[in-house]
Amino acid sequence: MIGALDLFDTLPRIARASQLLARMIGVSKTYGTGETAVKALANATLEIRAGEVTLIEGPSGSGKTTLISVLGLLLKPTSGEVWLEGKNVARLGERELPGLRARNFGFVFQGFNLFPALTALENVEIAIKMKDAHAKNARGEARRLLDVVDLGPRIHHLPADLSGGQKQRVAIARALGGNPPILIGDEPTAALDTKTALSVMELLRELATSAGRAVVVVTHDPRLERFADRVVRVEDGHVDARRTTP
Amino acid sequence: MWTLAHKLLLHDRLRFSVAIAGVSVSVMLVLVQVGLYFGFMDTASSIIDASTADLWVGKISNESFEFATPLDDRAYYKVASVPGVERAERVLINFAQFKVPDGGDLGVQVVGLETTPGRIPMLEPWNVVTGNALELRELGAIVIDESEYPKLKIDRVGDHTEISGVRAKVVATTAGIRSFTTSPIVFTDLRTARSYQPALGADPLSYVLVDVASGAKIDEVQARINALPHLAAYTRHEMSNRTRSYWSSRTGVGAGFFTTAVLGIIVGFVVVGQILYSGTLQYVREYGTLKAMGARNSAVVGVILAQAMISAGLGFAVGAPLAIGMRAAMKAANLTVALSPALFVVTLVITAAMCAFAALLSIVKVLRLDPASVFKA
Repeated sequence: MIGALDLFDTLPRIARASQLLARMIGVSKTYGTGETAVKALANATLEIRAGEVTLIEGPSGSGKTTLISVLGLLLKPTSGEVWLEGKNVARLGERELPGLRARNFGFVFQGFNLFPALTALENVEIAIKMKDAHAKNARGEARRLLDVVDLGPRIHHLPADLSGGQKQRVAIARALGGNPPILIGDEPTAALDTKTALSVMELLRELATSAGRAVVVVTHDPRLERFADRVVRVEDGHVDARRTTP
Repeated sequence: MWTLAHKLLLHDRLRFSVAIAGVSVSVMLVLVQVGLYFGFMDTASSIIDASTADLWVGKISNESFEFATPLDDRAYYKVASVPGVERAERVLINFAQFKVPDGGDLGVQVVGLETTPGRIPMLEPWNVVTGNALELRELGAIVIDESEYPKLKIDRVGDHTEISGVRAKVVATTAGIRSFTTSPIVFTDLRTARSYQPALGADPLSYVLVDVASGAKIDEVQARINALPHLAAYTRHEMSNRTRSYWSSRTGVGAGFFTTAVLGIIVGFVVVGQILYSGTLQYVREYGTLKAMGARNSAVVGVILAQAMISAGLGFAVGAPLAIGMRAAMKAANLTVALSPALFVVTLVITAAMCAFAALLSIVKVLRLDPASVFKA
């Protein structure tokens, strides 16, 4: 597992616990127009704070993916506000968004999405370089991040030679590249067995609590609730948030 | 970017090999076809290019260098008396029947040169490998090229034969002088050449070669000659280009070779395009992930272009030696593939452009790739 010193190195830029990192206010998202229009999100409001793990639950098609896509600046809302870095970024153009995403978000996916031709180290390194072409010592930084997720001995392995849990740890290390304050996971444990899933959630929990990062995870698995500070229930595009820990 | 590009290419070695094979074949086809074209064109204008004349003067109605309408000595004297002309020499180019030692006749292209003792002619046989070309001034003396031995069936200095019934003796042989018409070139003295063509009159000639006096401007002398009735003067460069252009357009050889070269480019384009596109589709989620995490389109497009450039570079590195090998093989068949450094550079640029264009479909794919799509299962 990660040690305190390692975690200190992964501290995001905005690290003060409970500090508001992102906020969605009255966000709606409608796909299509006219009779075929589908309202995926309706007047959703959500706050993302440093040091917190937020679980987003809900049945398939309820709007979970739309919610994190809007939060992660991958989708523009039809209406409402998305606040990040102290400004409403909901209407920013395509030129500004990649930079904002690079500074603020890391993504972890169910299918890992690692380049099969690259080693663990190279997968993390290339993500750092792609986020910032001028990144100094990207290789050293990638090595350090893989140490943080406890994959130091396997940095030169290809994804095909890693277990599912190890691949997800590489993906988490990749998401940490560029030191973003918010990690968004799209069912990051769905493809893993129970034991591995819990260890991955434990890692994400530690990244949040010890490193002051916000972790937002979409899941169908209620067993993960014990790792969460808040559970957000999404149904028919409506968001209902509740705090799970005092 | 380059690391990711080459690793993605090498990850599927079979597919990468097909891409490199496609580019290599394309490069080889372009080099060999264009090289053959330039080889033929060099052959077509070789006699003109080998001369030292400032101007070539012929009948204004001439279209082809080889099939020039005859002039007579009056034209020669008119040209020689034009102000600014330092020296003028007559050349007769015509076809004659060469008696092959084992029976039968062979059409040859006779180049009759004006040989004057004590003066270096503006046109003389070059690449002489045996004998003495200065002996051309002897009546009946001829110079043949060693590449034509199989056709002429004589292969040494001192051999005798007949050309249009006139006795001929080989006084020298050359290497690498061939005609575009495929008829062997036979150099001889103007007087001997005239004796092969009694029907053309007493003093026929095809061209007057002009050496412009120092201090005189070539274009001014050229204009003065062009003012003479029925005559046209061209600089050596113009004459060479006219001849190349004539054979290139009249025979369709230019269109033929360049069509094949373009087909080669199309083959390379299709193969590389298909390989890059299938590779892009294979990694579309990974590219989407990078875009989701903030990678700019330019960075992802850079990876695609780097793959295209690696394919171009390696394809060229394989295709160019193949073309050099083909040149050696074709030389044995008396075909010249003119591979100049400039042709290699231009082909490399074309190959890079071809691969870059082939990557366009992949580039459009990643540009249109919605980073939100990575959340879709």
